[in-house]
Amino acid sequence: MANGGTQSRKYRLQGAGLDLALPYLMLAPGLLIVLGVLVYPLWDGLRASTKVYRYGSVVADVGMQNYIKLWSDPQFLNSLWVTVEFVALSVTFEAILGFALALFCLREFRGIRLLRTILIIPMVITPVVVAIVFRLIYASDAGMLTAISEWMGGGQVQILGSPVKAFIGLVVLDVWEWTPLMFLILLAGLQSLPHEPFEAARVDGAGNWRVFADLTFPMMRPVLAIAIVLRTIDAFGTFDQVFVLTRGGPGEATRLVSIYGYDTAFKFQQTGYAAALFVTIGLVVLALAFSAVRLLRRVDAS
Amino acid sequence: MNSRLARIGVMSAVLAIVLLPIYWLVSTSLKSNREITQEGTLYPHVPTLDNYIRLFTEKQFGAYLTNSLVVTFFSVAVALVAGAMGAYAIARFRLPFAMERKVGLFLLTLRIVPPVVILIPVYLLMLKLGLLDSWLGLIATYTAFNITFCVWMMESFFREIPVDLEEAAMVDGDSRFGAFRRITLPLAAPGLAATAIFAVLVTFNEFLFALALTATPRAMTMPRGTATLIGRIDTDWASMSAAGVIGALPIVFFALLVQRHLVRGLTMGAVK
Amino acid sequence: MTHSSRSRLTRRSVLKGGLGLALATTALTALGLPVPARAAGKKVIIGAFADGGLTPFKQKIIPLAKDAGFDIEFLEDEYGVTLEKWFADAKNSAGQYDLYLLDDPWVPQFGAANVLEDLGAAGIDGGDKDWIGSMIDMGYWPPQKGARVKGFETATPTLICVPFVGDLQTLTYRNDVYTSGAPKTWDEVIAKGKEGVAAGKIKYPVVFRGVSGNPIVTSWYPVFLSFGGSFFDDKWNPVFNSAEGKASAEFFVGAMKQNAPSGVVEFDSDQEGAAILGGEAGAIIQYSGNALKADDPAQTKVAGKLDFGVVPKQTSAIAQMGIFIAGIPKSAPNKANSVEFLKWYVSADIQAKLSEAGSIPVKRSAFGIAKPGNRLIPVALQQLDAGALPRPRTPDWAKVEELLGIELNKALQAGSGGGAALDNAAKQVKDYLSSVGYY
Repeated sequence: MANGGTQSRKYRLQGAGLDLALPYLMLAPGLLIVLGVLVYPLWDGLRASTKVYRYGSVVADVGMQNYIKLWSDPQFLNSLWVTVEFVALSVTFEAILGFALALFCLREFRGIRLLRTILIIPMVITPVVVAIVFRLIYASDAGMLTAISEWMGGGQVQILGSPVKAFIGLVVLDVWEWTPLMFLILLAGLQSLPHEPFEAARVDGAGNWRVFADLTFPMMRPVLAIAIVLRTIDAFGTFDQVFVLTRGGPGEATRLVSIYGYDTAFKFQQTGYAAALFVTIGLVVLALAFSAVRLLRRVDAS
Repeated sequence: MNSRLARIGVMSAVLAIVLLPIYWLVSTSLKSNREITQEGTLYPHVPTLDNYIRLFTEKQFGAYLTNSLVVTFFSVAVALVAGAMGAYAIARFRLPFAMERKVGLFLLTLRIVPPVVILIPVYLLMLKLGLLDSWLGLIATYTAFNITFCVWMMESFFREIPVDLEEAAMVDGDSRFGAFRRITLPLAAPGLAATAIFAVLVTFNEFLFALALTATPRAMTMPRGTATLIGRIDTDWASMSAAGVIGALPIVFFALLVQRHLVRGLTMGAVK
Repeated sequence: MTHSSRSRLTRRSVLKGGLGLALATTALTALGLPVPARAAGKKVIIGAFADGGLTPFKQKIIPLAKDAGFDIEFLEDEYGVTLEKWFADAKNSAGQYDLYLLDDPWVPQFGAANVLEDLGAAGIDGGDKDWIGSMIDMGYWPPQKGARVKGFETATPTLICVPFVGDLQTLTYRNDVYTSGAPKTWDEVIAKGKEGVAAGKIKYPVVFRGVSGNPIVTSWYPVFLSFGGSFFDDKWNPVFNSAEGKASAEFFVGAMKQNAPSGVVEFDSDQEGAAILGGEAGAIIQYSGNALKADDPAQTKVAGKLDFGVVPKQTSAIAQMGIFIAGIPKSAPNKANSVEFLKWYVSADIQAKLSEAGSIPVKRSAFGIAKPGNRLIPVALQQLDAGALPRPRTPDWAKVEELLGIELNKALQAGSGGGAALDNAAKQVKDYLSSVGYY
C-alpha cells in the first residue's frame, strides 16, 4: 500500500465529497435553464393575470376578476367549445384510422416499408407548411378541390368561407397530419404484444373479430389510452395550423382557445385578461392529463 | 387473392391521401400566379423556377435557413447535454425527500402545459435581457423546452442500462461521473439519438415563439419566414407554395434520413 | 502526349474546380453568408405588411430613395401579425424598426400608448394645404375633430403619423350594363343590374364580401354611410342601430344578397374579385388593390368593360377610406434618418412620382399631374370630394369590428333581420366598451 495515501485521498474526494454533490450538480444546469426561461415567465404570467392593461400598461389590480369574467365571456366559452369539439373529433378519427392502419400493416408484406416511410412525411412537415398545403387545397380559386371539380365539369368548391366546412376542413388537416403518429405508436404497441395468446386462440378456432375483441383490443388498451392522452394534450395547444389556415375564421368557427388568447393579448391588447385565459387553459390541460393518468393506473390495477 | 387486392387498394388509397396534397404544393410552386388563379391547371403547363429564385433574391430565405440551422443545432446540443445529466441523476440517485422524482414530475408537468400559455412573459423576459430578434433568445427558449422532454425521454433509456456496469467501472477507479460518461452514455447512444432527432424535429418546426421573438431576417427561422408570405390581403400563391416547399424540404429530408431512430423516439414512452 | 494529357487534366480540373465553385457559391448563397455589399447611406428600417397596394412604392420609389442617399431596409410581414409586432416593439422600446407603415385604424392604439414620435415637432407640416384633408386628419392623436375616448378629452392633438399611400373605396361597374355612366343610386344599381342579367350580360347585379369580421363590415360600411348612418355618438355610445343604420343593414342582407351570387355569405376578396373580373357581376365597391386589376387583360375576362365611379348613394355618396399611414416609434434606432426620409417622401415631387407609378398619392397636387399611372386616380379624387370617411378613431376598433361582423354575417346567412343584428351588435359593443372603461 505504497500509494495508499494518495489513492484513498482520491477516493475520498470523488467517492465522498464530489459524489455526494454529483446528483445536484448534474440536475443543476437543466433545472436552472428551465427555471429561468420557463418557470420565471410562468410566475410572471400568473402575476399579470390579476391585472388590467390598457394601451399596453397596467392600470388596475383586480385580483381574481379576470378569471371570473372568463366564464361569462361568450367568445371564450365558444372558443373553448370549438377546441373541445376539434380535439374530440380529430383525436377520435386519428385513433380509429391509426388503429385500423396499424392492424392492416401488422403482417409484413411487400411495400410496407415504403408505406411507413411515406407516412412519416405528414407529421414531420413544419405545421406552418401543412397549413399552407391545406390552404392550397381548399382555396376556392387556386385550390386543388376546385381544380378537380372544374376538371370534372363542376364549379368552384368553397371550404374556408363556410363555418361548418372550414371547421371540418381543419379537422381533416389535423387527421392528415397526425394519424401517422397514432399509427406508428399503435403499430409499435401491436408488435410488442406476446404471440402465445394469439396462437392459442387461433388453435381454439377463434375468428378475426373474436381475436380482436377478446385479445388485441384489451391488450392494446393501455397503449391506445396513452396515445390518445398524448395527442389530446398536443391538440389542445394547436396554434400554427389555425393561424395560417383560417386565423380562427370565418367568424368564430375555427377559433381555438389558443387563437382567441393570442388575439386577446395581441390584437385586442387585453394582456391581463389573456394571461388569465392562458393560466386557465394550462390548468385545464394539466387536470385532464393527470386525471387521465390516474384513470389509467386504476384500470391497470384492477 | 381477395386480401391482396384489398391490400393494394388500401396501400394506394393511403399513398394518394398522403402524397396528393404534397404533389399539389410542389406543382403549384412551379406555376406562375396567373396559371394558378386563372387556369386551374392540374399540373404546371409552363413550369418555372422563378418562384424559388425570388425567395432567395427578393426574400431572405437563405438567412432564414441559416438561422434555423444555427438555432436548432445549439438548442438541441445544449438540451441534450443538460438533459442527459439531469435524466441520469433522476434515474440513478435517491435524494432526500424523493427530490429527484419531484424534479422529474415537475419537468413533465411543464411539458404538458401548452407553450402558448407563457408566450407573453417569455417575450417580456427576452426583451428585458435584450435578446429579442437574436439567435441567443431563441436558443435559450428552445433549449428550455427541449430539456423538459429530453430529461423525460432519456431517463427511461438510462433505466434500461444495468447499474452493475457502472459499479464495475467505479471499482476499477472511475469516478461516478466518469462511469456515467464512459460507460452509461455510450450504451444509451441509440436512445440519445432518438431523443436528439425528436428535439431537432420539434425545434426546427417551432413557429409560435419564433413569431413572438423575431422580427427581421437577422433571427427569423424557416417557419417564421415562411409565414411572412401567407398574405391574406393579396395572396401570392406562387411564392407561398414555393416557400412551403423550401420550408419543409430540410426537415423532411432529415426525417427520412434518420427514419428508424425517429420512429423509436416518437413511439417510445407510449409503448413502454 | 504529355501535352495532351496535361491539357486533359487541366480541362478536367478546370471543370471540377468550376463545378465545385458553382456548388460552393450556391451553397453559400443559400446559406446567406455573403451578404451583398450595401450601398452606404442613411439607414431606414421600414416595417410593412404584405399588400399589393405597396408594390408601386417598392418598385419605383425605393430605388429613388437609394439615389437620394437613403439605405432602405424594407421588412415585409404578414398583415395578421404586424399590428401586434410593431405595437410590442414600440411599447417596449425594442428598437427594431425606424418606420411603420400602419393600417390607419391602428393609429389610435399607438396614439393612446404614446409610443410614436411627434412628427409636427420633427418639422413635418400637418397644416400644409396640399394634404388631402381627411387623410392628414387620421394622423393626429387625439383626433382634431369628432369624439375622443376617455382620458384624451383635453389632450392637444399631435401629428404622430403621416399618410403614406392613399386608398379608399370606389365603385367598379360594367359599362355595358350601366350604359349611362356610373349608377348614382342603390336603386339604379339593382334595377339596371337586373336588366343586365335579363339581357344575359351578367349573372348578378352586385357582389360583395360576406365573411364575418373585417370583410363583411368593410362591404357594409359604404352602404351604411350612404344611407346616412353614423357609428358612434360623441360619447362613444354605439348609434349604428339608428333607423338609417337599420335600413342599410336590411337592404344589405335583403336586396343586395338577393341580387348577388348565392354563395356571397362565404365570399372574401378572392371570390368577389373573381366575380367582377370574371364578368359575372355588374358592380362592386372595392379598394384600389383589386380595382387596378380591371385594366389588366391577364387578370380579367372583361377588360375594357369595367369603369370606375363614385359609390352609389341613398342620401349621400360616402365611401370608406383606409390608407397606409407612416409613424416613427420613439425607440427608432435611426430616428433622424427616418424623419428626413418622410419629409423627402411626402414632397410634391416624389408624390407625383408615386402617382405616376400607379399608387393613390396623399397630396392633392399629385392627383392632378398630366399622366397619372392609372385612370382610377382621378376617380379617387372625385370620391374624396364626394365624401370618404375613415373608421371611428378608437383604439378598440378591431374588437368592435369583430363583434359587429359576426352579427351581420348571421343576418346575411338568414337573409333578413339586419336591424335586429345591429341591435345585438350595439349591445355587445356597448358592453365591451363599458368593460374597458369608455363611459
